[in-house]
Amino acid sequence: MRTILLLIAALTLAGCALGPGAYDLKNDGRNPDDVLTYGMGYSQNRYSALSQINKTNVKRLVPVWSLSLESNFGEQAQPMLLDGVMYIADAQWTVAIDAVTGKRLWRTAVDFPADTARIVCCGVSNKGVALYHGKVIRTTIDAHVIALDQKNGQLLWKQKVADWTEGYSLTLAPLIANGVVVTGCSGAEFGARCFLDGWDPDSGAHLWRRYTVPGPGEKGHETWIPSEAYLHGGASTWITGSYDPELDLMYWGTGNAAPYNPENRKGDNLYAASILAVRPKTGEIVWHYQAVPNDIYDWDTVWEIILADIKIDGKTRKVAMQMNRNGFLYVLDRATGELLSAKPFTEVNWATHVDMKTGRPVESETSQRLRAGEQIQLYPSIRGGKNWMHAAFNPNTGLLYAATNEGYSNYKLIKVQPFKAGFRYQAVETTYSPVTPKSVGGYFQAIDPMTAKPKWRTPIMGELPGSAILATGGGLLFTGKHSGDVIALDADTGEQLWQFKTPSGVNAQPVTWTRNGRQYVTILSGSGGTASQRRGMLDIPLGGSVWTFALMPD
Amino acid sequence: MAGKKLMLGCVLVVVCAGAAAQEIFAPEMIKEGADRYSQNCAPCHGPRMADPQGAFDLRTFPPDQKTRFLNSVTNGRNSMPPWGGLFSADEIETLWAYVMAGEKK
Repeated sequence: MRTILLLIAALTLAGCALGPGAYDLKNDGRNPDDVLTYGMGYSQNRYSALSQINKTNVKRLVPVWSLSLESNFGEQAQPMLLDGVMYIADAQWTVAIDAVTGKRLWRTAVDFPADTARIVCCGVSNKGVALYHGKVIRTTIDAHVIALDQKNGQLLWKQKVADWTEGYSLTLAPLIANGVVVTGCSGAEFGARCFLDGWDPDSGAHLWRRYTVPGPGEKGHETWIPSEAYLHGGASTWITGSYDPELDLMYWGTGNAAPYNPENRKGDNLYAASILAVRPKTGEIVWHYQAVPNDIYDWDTVWEIILADIKIDGKTRKVAMQMNRNGFLYVLDRATGELLSAKPFTEVNWATHVDMKTGRPVESETSQRLRAGEQIQLYPSIRGGKNWMHAAFNPNTGLLYAATNEGYSNYKLIKVQPFKAGFRYQAVETTYSPVTPKSVGGYFQAIDPMTAKPKWRTPIMGELPGSAILATGGGLLFTGKHSGDVIALDADTGEQLWQFKTPSGVNAQPVTWTRNGRQYVTILSGSGGTASQRRGMLDIPLGGSVWTFALMPD
Repeated sequence: MAGKKLMLGCVLVVVCAGAAAQEIFAPEMIKEGADRYSQNCAPCHGPRMADPQGAFDLRTFPPDQKTRFLNSVTNGRNSMPPWGGLFSADEIETLWAYVMAGEKK
């Protein structure tokens, strides 16, 4: 008996020795050789203290390798790094690469039906992998979650999340929190009723499901009138949540209510357009904040939720911050969900302000006309004051760094057609303000979280923002553009200090890391997602590739 | 019944001679296509085919390339997914009717 127990203990230890483990994930960033979490840390600050590449020498930044990904679907993923191996995902492939040489070590195809593309609102894409205990864990466009062996890419387990023919898909990188793999879902444009799922990382066993649209008997269900509206209520969870290990709370945003036209869903429609604080072991919702009750504007509240400790009125507060699609920058106490600030960071005409007593937006006269059936000119456009392109936060400057959108939508609600599985379930007509070579498509901005005012802002001419932002201890911001440039900005002024043209558009997520004492920056190139549908983007060649940069040696 | 025959007759009238060929479609068929388009196609090709962003501008689709249209919708083309699994051949015909005759060009 004792021998068996020892054997079990030894096997368990051997299994746990495969990286990364919970400790590594919690301390991501302390070892700059590795990048183990979505957002470069559970707090999703997208900040690295690395400073070898800095403002004075960034002009010597050159590509050290690139690798074709052989995919035309588009590249949005954040690369992950462990022990000198880079792991990348797109809709078509999972790839392991020698991080220093760029040599491909293995790749495994994702097998998905071509029809899946019609139940994806915004392009066939994937935002990357999670690493845990020797596994590479990812989601697939046909609504599965799979685990591959880090060593060779062989399939270890595969679980069906939902039926894609009913409008469900998955593009997000999984979050691993307190030993649980957590995934979400996409499909609010197709009348999906979304959820979060918990999975056992070792076996793939399904641990729990928490619907983000509560069903009969669950708290919040009473906010769907008539009752059956919950069945197709949306509230998708398509961007990876953040995690506070001390509070043991994950923070997930939820998408728009479905359909966009609310004629058949009266009430606040919880938990659509909300921020949820969730226990990873059980899926319990500990608190929620609904940014947009009875959403009619596609005000997804899924963008990155940035965790930080900031000074407010002389007191350090543990906060969760989000630059919402709806144009407001929300700051919440992340232990309690108390709303601390909600100020507009761009032009907003759908609400006059957020009532700080109730936490609810006060809808404008423009919104009242929309609800009455008129077409309105909506600010921000339904692309949002900011889209998914994740912002960064530098804890030393206390500033957020974001790429924000300009422009408006001509927006009108139209009659809801009966729900049919696999059909669009939106009931809206929308066109956008034109983006011309001379127009401002958006801004790179450094923003104070509590005032939502810019310290500086730099216009993005002739195109919309394309990529997430990475802030570094070298005083730099790295990001990419739809036109194909990877760029570095001076984080103090917004001045562009460096650029490199990649072969396709860049709508991805840069990371920085070290190996043998040398600092590298990696980002994917490959137009895709909604970019493939954007005016003026047609001349950008397709084709995915990885680009890794370092300083030219003296 | 006579009305229905007349409608079918209208649908089937195709003037094949020359580049000026123009199909005539029953209004009901165009309306059905318009509803189908509005729900499923407008998100990429634009409301009422206007403002198609980067997607194909269907207002410019050549009337003499019906086979190409039916194939593209059924099987997908470039970044457009195949719709044959969701729509029947008759339903795709209504989209053709709408694209050809549903909006002023």
